[in-house]
Amino acid sequence: MTYNYKQIKFRFFELLPLLLLFFISLNGNSIIGLKYFSINIHYILVYYWVLRQPRSLGYGFIFLSGIISDVVFGLPLGINALSLLVIAGTAAYIRVVTVRVTLINDWISFIPALLIANFVYFLSLYFSNYSVDYLFLLKNSVFTFIFYPILWAIFSLILNLTKS
Amino acid sequence: METNREDFGIAIRSAFLDKGTKQRFSLFVLIILSIIFLFAETIETKPLNYLRSFIKDTIYRGSLVVSIPFKNFNNIFENINKHMNLYNNYNKLKVENDELKNNISKSDFLELENAQLRKLIEEQVSSLSNLVSARIMLDKQSPYLNSLIINIGSNKNIKNGMAVLDGKNFIGRIVDVNFFSSRILLVADLNSKIPVISEPSAHHAILTGHGKNALSLEYLPENHNIKDGDKVYTSGKEGIFSPGIPVGIVKIEKNIVTVSLFSDLSQITFVNVDLEGLEKDR
Repeated sequence: MTYNYKQIKFRFFELLPLLLLFFISLNGNSIIGLKYFSINIHYILVYYWVLRQPRSLGYGFIFLSGIISDVVFGLPLGINALSLLVIAGTAAYIRVVTVRVTLINDWISFIPALLIANFVYFLSLYFSNYSVDYLFLLKNSVFTFIFYPILWAIFSLILNLTKS
Repeated sequence: METNREDFGIAIRSAFLDKGTKQRFSLFVLIILSIIFLFAETIETKPLNYLRSFIKDTIYRGSLVVSIPFKNFNNIFENINKHMNLYNNYNKLKVENDELKNNISKSDFLELENAQLRKLIEEQVSSLSNLVSARIMLDKQSPYLNSLIINIGSNKNIKNGMAVLDGKNFIGRIVDVNFFSSRILLVADLNSKIPVISEPSAHHAILTGHGKNALSLEYLPENHNIKDGDKVYTSGKEGIFSPGIPVGIVKIEKNIVTVSLFSDLSQITFVNVDLEGLEKDR
């Protein structure tokens, strides 16, 4: 079977979310920390693709990517996996109950996803006897929410490329 | 009202229990699996430890490979920066060199005096010769854990709790040991608490990390006389670390006692692990 350029391009863009998921976990870039703020791109990536095209990101892969992040960051195994699955679960629920897909809908429904995931994250760290920087967690959640539309636009572009 | 509740139940079932297209597991199963993993972390048995070590070693190697292009890119960027600042650095180093030349004669005299005084009080000087060197494999800084991964583990008799030095300066302790890798918890981490002693004020205290912020000295006596510029060493209290390992220098700003480390934690490539604790165990 021969692949032509279009098919290769299509396969690449279809696999891109998965590649990104594993790349950011292995490279330890789940949370991009800048001088005054930080963004959790892992959450945005999982939320967007589970909401818009779930077949691109299998739940098993999300779980595995969470485990990898835990190992790379030195956290107890399961913490990131659990919070990422909570994000995926919220996105799956939103997908079931909403009909129209718009940026505003996605953006607003991202708030409960973030809140629940960070609450699970905080609880897991707390019960694992890890000190938690509450201010960091709060700032990270706020800026992850603020930066959602930018990554939404980029991911929508990728999604359109897989469809065209 | 009842219909709404039914709809909610159907949506939850559909999201969490149903397997979507191309999905092999349902979300519910994976969430349960994550919780099992979390609980398994608290269980210490040999087979589980072996499994954890294997998983971690494999992921560290994968992470190392994935981060090679980024590391190379950073190196190129750093080299360009260094070349740009060459002239300024040259001038700075020239001044520093002159100062150091003046200090050499002073330090020779102090060393001699120190040796004579030690002889006088018949102190047994314990040497830190029981060190094993390691290379930093990964330095992925998590917002919740300031740590480094080194390329030696139980294969070189590394154990949890051992002190880790950068040259002769204390930088952290081993918190996780695998077959071929170990994790160092840096002193700057939120979870790090190290018993230390200040010199010459000779006050015992606990050196506490605060993530990105400066380290602080806690549990100092109320009427302490610590001054700016006092040196901080490990105290060896509780027998966790060898006493007298240099840690940092005291800085007092607005009555807050902070400690500036002797080592720059972001510039470490090789470390020494102090095996003294291991010898004590034997």
